[in-house]
Amino acid sequence: MARETAVDLLQGTLDMLVMKAVSLGPLHGYGVLLRIQQISQGRLEVQQGSLYPALYRLEHEGWIAGEWGQSENKRRARFYRLTAAGRRRLEAETKKWAEFADVVGAILKTAPEEA
Amino acid sequence: MSLGSRMGTWWRAVRHEGAVGAQVDEELRFHIESYAEDLMRSGLSREEAMRRARAELGSLAAARENARQAWGTRCLDEMRGDLRFAARMLVRGPGFAIVAILTLALGIGANTAIFSMVDTLMLRPIPVHDPHDLVFLSFPRDPTHFDPGFSVPEFRQIRDATHGIFSDVTAAALGGLSGAEARADGLTIDGTTMPTQTLFVSGNFFQMLGIRPYLGRFILPPEGGASSAHPVVVLSYRYWKSRFHGEPGILNKQAWVNGHAVTIVGIGPKDFLGLTPIVEMQAYLPLGMMNVETGGDTKSISDPAQRGLLVVGRLAPGMTLTRANAALAALGPQLVKEYPRPGEGKALQARALRPPGLIDGPNPFPALAGLFLTLSGLVLGLACLNVANLSLVRAAARQREMAVRAALGGSRARLVRQVLSESLLLGLLGAAAGVGAAVVALHAISSLMTVTELPLVLDFPLNLRVLIYALGIALAAATIVGIVPTLRASGGRIGDVLHEGGRTSIGGRQRTRMALVAVEVGGALALLIVAGLFTRSLMRAQHADLGFDQRNVLNVKLDPGEIGYTEAQAKPFYNRLLQRARALPGVEYASLAQSVPLDVDGYQSAAIAVQGYSARRDEQLHADYNAVTPDYFRVMKLAILQGRGILDADDASAQRVALVDQAMAEKFWRGENPIGRTFTRTSDPGHPIEVIGVVRNSRNEDTYSPFTPTFYVPLAQAFALAETLQLRTAGPPEAMAPEVRSMVRGIASAAPILNVQTMREEVNGPDGLGVFDWGADLTAALGLLGFALAVIGIYGVMAYSVAQRTQEIGLRMALGANRNDVLWMMSRQGLTIIGIGLPIGLGIAVGVGRLVANFLVGVGPMDPATYVTVTLLLTGVALAAGYWPARRAMRIDPMIALRHE
Repeated sequence: MARETAVDLLQGTLDMLVMKAVSLGPLHGYGVLLRIQQISQGRLEVQQGSLYPALYRLEHEGWIAGEWGQSENKRRARFYRLTAAGRRRLEAETKKWAEFADVVGAILKTAPEEA
Repeated sequence: MSLGSRMGTWWRAVRHEGAVGAQVDEELRFHIESYAEDLMRSGLSREEAMRRARAELGSLAAARENARQAWGTRCLDEMRGDLRFAARMLVRGPGFAIVAILTLALGIGANTAIFSMVDTLMLRPIPVHDPHDLVFLSFPRDPTHFDPGFSVPEFRQIRDATHGIFSDVTAAALGGLSGAEARADGLTIDGTTMPTQTLFVSGNFFQMLGIRPYLGRFILPPEGGASSAHPVVVLSYRYWKSRFHGEPGILNKQAWVNGHAVTIVGIGPKDFLGLTPIVEMQAYLPLGMMNVETGGDTKSISDPAQRGLLVVGRLAPGMTLTRANAALAALGPQLVKEYPRPGEGKALQARALRPPGLIDGPNPFPALAGLFLTLSGLVLGLACLNVANLSLVRAAARQREMAVRAALGGSRARLVRQVLSESLLLGLLGAAAGVGAAVVALHAISSLMTVTELPLVLDFPLNLRVLIYALGIALAAATIVGIVPTLRASGGRIGDVLHEGGRTSIGGRQRTRMALVAVEVGGALALLIVAGLFTRSLMRAQHADLGFDQRNVLNVKLDPGEIGYTEAQAKPFYNRLLQRARALPGVEYASLAQSVPLDVDGYQSAAIAVQGYSARRDEQLHADYNAVTPDYFRVMKLAILQGRGILDADDASAQRVALVDQAMAEKFWRGENPIGRTFTRTSDPGHPIEVIGVVRNSRNEDTYSPFTPTFYVPLAQAFALAETLQLRTAGPPEAMAPEVRSMVRGIASAAPILNVQTMREEVNGPDGLGVFDWGADLTAALGLLGFALAVIGIYGVMAYSVAQRTQEIGLRMALGANRNDVLWMMSRQGLTIIGIGLPIGLGIAVGVGRLVANFLVGVGPMDPATYVTVTLLLTGVALAAGYWPARRAMRIDPMIALRHE
């Protein structure tokens, strides 16, 4: 599929995506980037500059936890994983997002005669 | 959970700043390398890949910044940056910094010193275990008179009846007051006797207070009772240090109190002065040893009429003061029924034992504290205004810098924060300097207070409370100092400022400065008025008629009781003393007296019954008295208005006689001739006393209270162990002191001479004019400080105004104004300042007047003479201060001025 221009992401949505990415297994920063790209099948490219502030913010709030570890090529990297509180937060945010999408979608689908 | 995590990362960011920073760097480096590798795999060269990776990720520094923002440490960083910048700016302009810091130091120092005194006298709790649980008992006559004295049998009964209310009850009696005498007891060790302030305590005193001895042990509960086999004494730490140089060998040594043998068993804790601040108890003896003051008579200790005990209780766990009082309500009437107290209250009450201790009568300390804190607050205000003015000048110079900052995107809040951080730095430095100044000031104040026989501990330490107070007022000062330039700084319009050549001068800024200085003038006026009132009060007191002639009188205080003399031994001692004294060349008259006017030891008071004067029901008549030898009235030049003086014939075998003063004659025999009338002392009803003469009122207790009825009895008829030898000398009395001392030693070598003073020194002592002196000195110091600050302020603003308007002045002169016009133009400013400042000052002075009124004697708080004098003085100096720069303006050469930038 052709690469579309990256969709503008709001800060809250980026948080959600990062949390989802690490929920599938501990990742380092670059790995999160790759995984989001991978899951979205190339449709989403996160702005590199906003990744780390997001990671630090999430860690500050206690939703992900960071730990030093070894990468695939034996280099030192910081790995992040989802905490229990983070898991609960992700569930809540996912639900809210679904509701939001539902509502907005319904409004947008309204045909002129049904208004 | 989130909060905890947030605090955790914030804390880590602050504490391990370096490590965390390095961490972020490492993480990002890894990212860049990984990304670069991927890019290389898709065909890019290494440099190209690295460049792209770095570019996309952004700079490391920026990332670190972002990280720190995420962690919430941004605020801290900015503050640190601001402070560092502020420090650099201050170093760049050391003149301003030094003046500002010194000025603030004066204001903060004055406040801190006074607060330290207030803290010691009113706030600092006694250094014992749980001091807030301690209460003392009394039968209050009215809300301000406590009557905290109890007799030994009453104490015993209270102790037995209050087990549920108090976990422990103890009693203490101030030494030197029980019995008929009022002198300190003498402690003899290794042959030397020195007067020592004693406190007689019950056995459980130290146990109840929960303190530990510095050395040795305390008095134990079983040792408190009447004359145990091995009486013990505990010395205070300071007394031990000063008299025995901290020698541990003092323990278990034998000592004598007024001739009675005791053993020294312990030394008290370092900071422990007793139950009150300031006055130190030097030796603690068991209650049972009170007979050392009554010449061995043990019966009077258990006399229910002798009410010298202070009863202190510790509230039982869970007991509150109100509940305790409710429980005591039942005990009160019971006690009164068994031990009647005519003329006193009926309800037994417990009150918290707090500094400044027990003051019978209205407590002057809160008002005093309020007054001096207000005055020093005014001084601080003046200091802040001066520094604010200086800051404004600086702000004017930095207008451009501020404008540039604003143009580059600095938010108003950020600018304000930057200016405030400068004043914060000034405030903190000023606080540090101020605390140092306070230490010096406190030293000076302590030495100001005249040395008396009382063991005063004028120690005003800088403890935590005081330091926190200093920091608090420093922050307040910094805020005040910072507010004004802040408002100016953030309000400037950028375009105007950047384009102007800096020629704007008058207008808002100058008006603000003038307003500030006007307020300063007002504040200074108020301070000076208060100082003036106190000084006048002092002068009035100094010239008040004392009733007697204080010149050329020497007082020698003696107490042979301290070396164990009995009445039989003391009488011949005193007789020989009087004989020898009269024979001394330079001595006109010599007499002995039990009490001396305006001495720290007050006059004795006697309960009397006057024939022909019916007291109200429950009222007990009292009068003060003094026992004197016949020449007393000649020595003191106390005029006998009616009847005769005391003769040698009025001895122990003759009819009891007395002279009464005018106050007593007025009270008990109003309108009639008191000569020949009689009255009796309730302690000696079998011997009615006949009035043989009337003397003038004399100032005995203090220099301002109304005269209390007082009578004089012959010493031969009312012997006292402790007496004062008084000599009227032909020449200066101080010159006779050494001769008199050796004369006394010649009669009894070990006799302790408690004090040798001239009557004039006595009058200027703490019970006399000392208080007025002290008050006048302190307010004068504050007044002068404020005055100096205001004068500097006026001069500063005027000088600045002239400098700013140099060009304008040159222009005016070139256009035809003559020198006098210029002088008048500049002086107008000064006059405006004074014109606004004076009413402000008068207003403040009137407001503070209420606080001051309580401490003035003979002068009202609105004394017109003081107000007028001070106002004229301040106006004069202020005009001069403003005139000087104006004069310089007059001298400006227009050619030079026009070229002035």
